Amino acid sequence: MAVARSLRRTNPITIALAGLLAVGFLIFIFSSPSTAPINVPGARQLLKSKEAASHALSPPSLPFLKSNLKAGEEAPPPPVVHYHMNNVTTTADPIANRESILILTPLARFYQEYWDNLLALTYPHELISLGFIVPKGREGNAATAQLQERIKKTQAGTNKKRFASITILRQDEEPPLQSQAESERHAMSAQKERRAAMSRARNALLFTTLGPTTSWVLWLDSDIIETPPSLIQDLASYDKPIIVPNCFQRYYNKDKEAMDVRPYDFNSWIDSPTAQNLAAKMGPDDILLEGYAEIATYRSLMAYMADPRGDPKQIVSLDGVGGTALLVKADVHRDGAMFPAFPFYHLIETEGFAKMGKRLGWGSWGLPNYFVYHYNE
Amino acid sequence: MWKRQELYHHPYVRVTCKARVPSRQYIPPTISFIALRGRDVIGTPVVQLSSGLAPRGPFHASGELHPTSSSLFQVSTSWMLPLHASAAPKSKMNRHAYSNGHTGAYPLGGRGSFSIQPHKFQPRSQPALRRRRQLLIRLALVGSLLFAGVLLFFPSLRAAALPALSLGLFAGHEELQLETVRYYDLSNVQGTARGWEREERILLCAPLRDAAPHLPMFFSHLRNLTYPHHLIDLAFLIGDSKDNTLTLLSDLLAELQVDEQPGMAFGEISVLEKDFGQKVNQDVESRHGFAAQASRRKSMAQARNWLLSAALRPTHSWVYWRDVDVETAPFTILEDLMRHNKDVIVPNVWRPLPDWLGGEQPYDLNSWQESETALALADTLDEDAVIVEGYAEYATWRPHLAYLRDPYGDPDMEMEIDGVGGVSILAKAKVFRSGVHFPAFSFEKHAETEGFGKMAKRMKFSVVGLPHYTIWHLYEPSVDDIRHMEEMENERKAREAEEKAKQERLEKIQSQFDDTQGQWEKDRSDIESIKKKAQEEEEAVAEAKRQATAQQIAEKQAQDEAAYKAQKAQQVAGGKPVVGKQAAAGAAAGAGAAAAADAKVHDESGSKPRVEAKDGKGHIIDADDIPVVGGGRKTPKEDTL
Repeated sequence: MAVARSLRRTNPITIALAGLLAVGFLIFIFSSPSTAPINVPGARQLLKSKEAASHALSPPSLPFLKSNLKAGEEAPPPPVVHYHMNNVTTTADPIANRESILILTPLARFYQEYWDNLLALTYPHELISLGFIVPKGREGNAATAQLQERIKKTQAGTNKKRFASITILRQDEEPPLQSQAESERHAMSAQKERRAAMSRARNALLFTTLGPTTSWVLWLDSDIIETPPSLIQDLASYDKPIIVPNCFQRYYNKDKEAMDVRPYDFNSWIDSPTAQNLAAKMGPDDILLEGYAEIATYRSLMAYMADPRGDPKQIVSLDGVGGTALLVKADVHRDGAMFPAFPFYHLIETEGFAKMGKRLGWGSWGLPNYFVYHYNE
Repeated sequence: MWKRQELYHHPYVRVTCKARVPSRQYIPPTISFIALRGRDVIGTPVVQLSSGLAPRGPFHASGELHPTSSSLFQVSTSWMLPLHASAAPKSKMNRHAYSNGHTGAYPLGGRGSFSIQPHKFQPRSQPALRRRRQLLIRLALVGSLLFAGVLLFFPSLRAAALPALSLGLFAGHEELQLETVRYYDLSNVQGTARGWEREERILLCAPLRDAAPHLPMFFSHLRNLTYPHHLIDLAFLIGDSKDNTLTLLSDLLAELQVDEQPGMAFGEISVLEKDFGQKVNQDVESRHGFAAQASRRKSMAQARNWLLSAALRPTHSWVYWRDVDVETAPFTILEDLMRHNKDVIVPNVWRPLPDWLGGEQPYDLNSWQESETALALADTLDEDAVIVEGYAEYATWRPHLAYLRDPYGDPDMEMEIDGVGGVSILAKAKVFRSGVHFPAFSFEKHAETEGFGKMAKRMKFSVVGLPHYTIWHLYEPSVDDIRHMEEMENERKAREAEEKAKQERLEKIQSQFDDTQGQWEKDRSDIESIKKKAQEEEEAVAEAKRQATAQQIAEKQAQDEAAYKAQKAQQVAGGKPVVGKQAAAGAAAGAGAAAAADAKVHDESGSKPRVEAKDGKGHIIDADDIPVVGGGRKTPKEDTL
């Protein structure tokens, strides 16, 4: 213990203070330039996937730092933010590549089961951004209130499994139908208008929340209440530009006196010559709908390709897709593929989307034996 | 002096000490409780001596403590004065003496560690912390060095480590500082005619590619915009640039944001870097070639869509598309276009031209009204064909916004259009929100901005052009123009060379003329001298005649005397002067004719170059006045960008 006499005689408090000072100097010296100038005006930044933005004016798919400005203090001008979109990948292994995903939901009604299912997703939540669009009106208000209540709990700062960011939009136009009852909703005459409004809602949600760092977009309807927890990884593993699982519905089968499943979404199909002939004879503003007895299209519906004992990895190429659950590479949307609110090749909304994707060179695929379940009203 | 007594470990303690006074001690002891660990031990407990002090007699002391559950403290008894050693009471004094009713809580019953032996001075026993001070200091030094080293080599850890050290007390955890939830009502961002009053945000989009030469001009336009800058968000997409567009843009933007002038800084600024791997060159010729149009328009559309989808936010009421190569535009263009309150609106786009091309020219031919011919044409084309305007290959007979311009027309006049040009488009954000975009495929036989106009029309949005509100696109000479300008330049040079040659010739001739003048003078002087000589000769002859006459007279006089002889002599002399006179006259006439002939020669050689010079000058003037070529040149057809 040969310690210098001076050191032995020094009061330990002095040494402690000196140590503190030394640490302070070290911090000063090593403080990296990337963190320091966050609020320096004119600073240049590079935002990568799931980093927090330093200013409130930032892509809604990213969280941002709260500004702790005092009253009367003027905020510095926003920084110049660079995004290397060449580095935004969409691969079969999204978790390993830290690919961020945007889950978009047109929220007509709030179902607790939907929210629970969402929270149960095993994809890293810090890579998930959520986007909701809620229609105007009383039902929308109720849904928003419920949603915000759940969000408050989920997004608390202490929650390790909170989502990267959540955006809620209130739609600017009234929904065309006052009631959303199931029977009324599917009345064929109302379909075109309803789905056009739905398209506009989807597009508004998509184009305002899609950020420069987003790799995937998952469309998930608010009435999808049961999916495999690994939904995102499973769908992404096929590395297809547009991929859709089979949407079924659980119901009480009175004949069997037991719970059973039945096909729900008929918008995923492979085109048929009959349908094409029908379309050729139609006027430019007519649309060809699926799942109605009035028009027999003889398209091959994915809903009827399901085989409960079949290979869940079976994959088929589709010409129309449904939007209840739909995984899309963000590049497809960025190229311009959207949900046409007008008859596009006599197709509308998600079916028109698949067609537009095809026109842009992106194919659609379906998984007949991989199921998600729709709420039963 | 201090004797370690006992360590107690209990939440609430009432301690009673019982000990014996040393034999020679008369001073009351000091009893203290020293906390070894834990914060809440009440400093010095109230110590009461419950019995009087007598040498070697027993005494009691008690005190109350409120330690925390983890406190560890010791009870000490001390006397002020040195005492001699006395081992005798030791065994008896080693009784622990305390009680607070929680007997079971004390693990030290019967250990007999309570001992008071203040018989002599003893060095204060060192607590562990003090005893191992050097070790601790060394450990701390090594630790901080390691820490510094880690921070030095792993900069990524700094962000995590530093706030915890420096601001940890004030800032809290970073997670708590992040805002993750946003709520927007889209009915607030519909876009109105007086957006600047309602603080409506505009997204200004500019796709860039090899645009470095135009950036300074573009930024001067940005600075001049009168719409409140903080309400304008800028978004740039840089793709496949081979020049320094990116660095230049970044520098200019940073400069713009720190400008000291208040209100100069813009809102959110996004620079998106994305290479699409386009093959088409960006120079004018390859950009505007017909064959390249369809694929070029599609990739341009793709770039525009990427830019828009990444930059459009729920806060935007308007979207303004602006090319960087606009040379002149009103500062109030945003307000001017917004005032019309249309869903999609474009101004007229012209470009200035050099005088020899006619001064100005319609530039953007993509803003047009649909025509029956074009619709019929569209039906004949296959699914992937793209009609591009301004090429002879597709004669569409559409009314173009550009050709309807009247420089003195009402700038507020509106015109319904179907296709729009992309140089300067102001659109309500709700148009883009509803899904209208720049088709990168053939949408109703159109792509990019024309397809955008078509799609907006399809979705029942109003699409309007302003024929008499003009902005001016930069004039970039096409390859033809450049060639032509080279020709003109060569011509000019040739003309200058010719002029110079003529000048030289003129000078030469001038100098030659001066020579002949001299010659003439010389000749004249020669002639004059000859004339003089002739005169002299004449005079001499005359003199001689006179002399001869005189001689004759003299001879006559002499011959008067001799009449025969004199008569004969007079006959000879009379013929002689006649001959001499004739010769002199002939000589003079010859000299005059020669001089006249000489002068005529001079006149001819002098007047001819003068005529030539006049001709030359006239030619130069004519060359300036008469357009050489290109005055009636067919103006090249161009489309935007």
